[in-house]
Amino acid sequence: MFYTPKKAIHSRISRRKFLELGGAGATMMGTGMLGVGLNSTIMASRVSAQSSDEAKWKQFSGSKLVFLSENTPPSFAIREKLTAFYDLTGITVEILTDDLPVVQQKAGIDLRSGTSDYVLQYSQDKPIGAPFADFYADLTPMFGDETLPQDPEGYGDDVWFENFLTACGRFYDGNRVVALPYDAAIACTFYRKDVFEANTKDFEAEYGYRLEYTNDTTWQNVLDFATFFKKAKEAGKDVPYGYAQHQGSFAWTTQLDIQRMCFANGRWIDYAIDDKLGSKTPGATNWGDEQSVLILEKFKALADVSHPDNLANGTLELNTVYQSGNIAMQVQYHEFAASVEDEGTSMAAGGKTGYAPCPKGAPEWIKNGGEAVNGTNCGIGGIAINANADEALQRAAYIFAQWSTSADNQYEVLKGLGGTPTRKSVLARPDVVAAGQRPSTMPNALTFDPVYNFGIKDPNFTLGPKIPKANEYHSIIASTTQRMLAGELDAAATGAELKAQLDELNAG
Amino acid sequence: MTETLAHAGDADEAHDRFRARKVSSEVEARPLSAKLSEPKTFNPAARKAYYFYLMAPAIALLAFISLYPFFWLIIMAFQKGDMGPVEWVGFKNFADLASDGRFLSGWVLLLKYSAMCLFLQVGIGVLLAIIVNGSRYEKFLVTALLMPMMMAPAVAGLLWMFLYNGTFGWYHWIFQSLGILGSGSILSSAQTSMYAIVLVDVWQWTPLITLIALAGLKRVPRDQMEANMVDGASPARNFVAIVLPNLYPVLLIAVLLRFMDNFRFIDHILVLTGGGPANSTKILPVYLFEVAFKFFDLGRGAAIALVLLVVTIILGKILVGVFDRPTTGGR
Repeated sequence: MFYTPKKAIHSRISRRKFLELGGAGATMMGTGMLGVGLNSTIMASRVSAQSSDEAKWKQFSGSKLVFLSENTPPSFAIREKLTAFYDLTGITVEILTDDLPVVQQKAGIDLRSGTSDYVLQYSQDKPIGAPFADFYADLTPMFGDETLPQDPEGYGDDVWFENFLTACGRFYDGNRVVALPYDAAIACTFYRKDVFEANTKDFEAEYGYRLEYTNDTTWQNVLDFATFFKKAKEAGKDVPYGYAQHQGSFAWTTQLDIQRMCFANGRWIDYAIDDKLGSKTPGATNWGDEQSVLILEKFKALADVSHPDNLANGTLELNTVYQSGNIAMQVQYHEFAASVEDEGTSMAAGGKTGYAPCPKGAPEWIKNGGEAVNGTNCGIGGIAINANADEALQRAAYIFAQWSTSADNQYEVLKGLGGTPTRKSVLARPDVVAAGQRPSTMPNALTFDPVYNFGIKDPNFTLGPKIPKANEYHSIIASTTQRMLAGELDAAATGAELKAQLDELNAG
Repeated sequence: MTETLAHAGDADEAHDRFRARKVSSEVEARPLSAKLSEPKTFNPAARKAYYFYLMAPAIALLAFISLYPFFWLIIMAFQKGDMGPVEWVGFKNFADLASDGRFLSGWVLLLKYSAMCLFLQVGIGVLLAIIVNGSRYEKFLVTALLMPMMMAPAVAGLLWMFLYNGTFGWYHWIFQSLGILGSGSILSSAQTSMYAIVLVDVWQWTPLITLIALAGLKRVPRDQMEANMVDGASPARNFVAIVLPNLYPVLLIAVLLRFMDNFRFIDHILVLTGGGPANSTKILPVYLFEVAFKFFDLGRGAAIALVLLVVTIILGKILVGVFDRPTTGGR
C-alpha cells in the first residue's frame, strides 16, 4: 500500500532483532552510567581525593557551578580561561556578569530564599558582604583541608595586600572568613600634571605656594586648587574645572566620597566600632558632632567650586569628565587608570596624568584631636560561596575560588585586561615592577605605588562601617549629603538629619 | 386573457407592497403536522461542571502565578522580613510608614510626576491625533510616532542619559545654547531633574495617547458634525460639542492606562537618576524598589506595595467616575 524504500531498516532487521539490539544498547548504557556514577562517588570520597594532586582537582568532575559576578575585568578574563579550568577539574563553570546593583539584588534574592542558584558570588565588602555575610560559607575549615587542592601561597593576611582579607572576608567576627579577595578598587588621586604646570605661576601669585600635588597635599589645598580653577574659568581663561565629586546616583560611591574627607581629618568614623570588622549593633552614630559638621561645611565648599555636574556624576561619569579634559583632578579608583591611559579615548593619556595618594587631612580642620592622614577607602570584591549549597558543591566551589584568585591568574588578568591584583606576589614579578614606570604595558601598574605601598596601609586605610543595613545607610548618607549640596540644608542641619535617620535605622 | 389577469394580479400585489401591512388580530394556527421536531444537536448543553473542569488548569495556573504571590505579599506586610528570620509584627510596618519621610515625600513626588505626565501626554497626544487624522501622510506619521513606544523603557532611559550628559550630550548643548540651562546638566539639579524625567516619559508614551485618540476620532459621527456646522457652529464649538464627548470613552482608557503605568514604571528613573539628586526624583515606586530589593526589608516593602495598590485602585475608581459622567454634548 505504501512505498517502502528498498534499504528500509526493517526490511533487513526483524522486529525481534531490533528489540534485542535496543535492549542490549540500553543495558550497555546503564552499565556505563553506573560505572561513571560509581567512579564519581569513589573520586568524591575524601580518602580517594587525597591519593594524588590530580585526584584532588578532579574529585568533583561533572559538577556545574554558576558564578554571579560584577562586570569587572577579572570575571571577563577568567571567563576566557574556563576551558582550562574544566580540563583541570572536569567542573563546568558558568560566569554571569552584571552591574553591581543588579548583582546585589540577585545575590540577595538567592541567599534570602534559601536557594543556591548562584553557588559562587561576587561579594563586594559593604554593599553585598555586610548584609549577607551570614549566608556565606565559612572558608576556614577548607583552608587547611588536605583533600582539597590548595594555593601554594596560602590564604593568610600576609599573602594579600594589607587589610584586603579582612575587608572582604571578615564580618562582625574575626574567626570566620567568607570570601577571598578577588579584585580591588582603591581610591587615589589622578591629576593633570600638564595643567598644573601651566598654571602654577598664577596660582602661586595668588595663594603663595606652588600648584603641585604631593603626598602631603591636604584637602585645604584641594579646595584652593578648585577655587583657583573655577575663578580662572569664570574669568574666561581656557582651563578646566579643578575638581569634581562622586555625587551621582550610586549611593555607595557617594558615601565613599565624603568618607575619605572625614577620615583624613582626625580619622573620624561614623560609629565607635571596629572599622574593619564592623558590628551588627553599631549604636549611636557620630554624625552631627563638631568634627563631622565642620567636614560637611568643607565638603559643601568644595562642591561649590567643583565641576557643575557634581550631582549627576557617578564614578563612571566622573571618569568620563576627567578623560574629556574637563577637570584637572579627581579622586578615582585605581582600576580606572587603564581607561585614562587609553590614548584612543582619553585626553588625559600620554603621560599627562600623575597618580598620587588621596589628599591628606588639614590640621586646621581637625577638632577631635585626631591625626591628619591620607584617608583612603576602597571596594574589595571577594569571591564567596553560598552556604545554601550542599557540602559537595561548596567544596567544588572552593576549588574554583582558590584557583581564580591564584597569583598566576591575577597576573594574566592584569596583563590582559587591566585587572587589579589582590595578591602581593603579583607585584613582585619583574615585568609588573617595570610597568610601574612609563612607558607602561600595564597602565594600572602606574597607580600601584601610591595605592598598595601607601594608601591602603594603616593609618590611611578606612573601610567601614560594616553594618547589616549598609545599603540603607549608604542611601541615607547619599541623599542627605546631596540635599546639602543642592542647598536645601546647611551643614549643621545635615549633620542633625543624618544622626536622626541613622539612629532610627539602627534602632529599628 | 389568462395572461392579462395574471398581470393584473401581479400589479395588485406590487401595489400592496407599498401599503401599510394589516396586522391580523387572529393568532395564526400552525397545523400540527407542520410542527418541526427538536433538531438533534451535535453539541448538547453540557453541565456547568464540565466547563469548570475545562477551565480548572488555567484557573489553577493563574491562581498560582498571581493570587499566591498576592496573598504572600499581604502576609509579608505583617512581618518583619529582612535578611534574618521573619517575625510577626502586626500593623507596625504600616504604622511606621506614617513617620517615614521618604515614603511621604515619595507620594508627593509621585502625584506631581503623574499629574505632569498625564496632563502633557493627554494634551499633546490629542493634539497630535487631530493633526494626523485625515492627513495625506497619516500612515507615515502614525508609524513615525509609534517608534519611541517600541523602545524598551530602560533603553530609552539610556538614550536620554546620553542626550542629557553634561560632557557630550546633544540636548544638554541645545538647552545651554538656548539659555534654558546654566553650566550644570539637567540631571544634576534637584530643581530640573524631575522635568527631565517627565520629558522622557512624555516622549515615549504620548504616541500611545495619540494612537488611542486617533481611533476615537475615526468613530466620531460625521453627520452630527455636519449638522452642527449647518447650524452655524464654529470648528472649536464643534470640537467641544461633538468630538470631545465622543472621545471620552477612548480617552478614559488611555488616561487609565497611563495613570496606572506612571504608578509602576520606574525604568527611566532608575537609569537616569536612581531617584536623585537629593531624592528629587525618588517617587514612591522607586522608593518601594529600593526598600525591597536594595535594603531587602521585605516587610516594609510589602506594606508600601499594598498601600500603593489600594490608593491606585481608589484613584482609578475616581478617575473612571469623572470620565463616566453622562455627557451632554456640550449643551
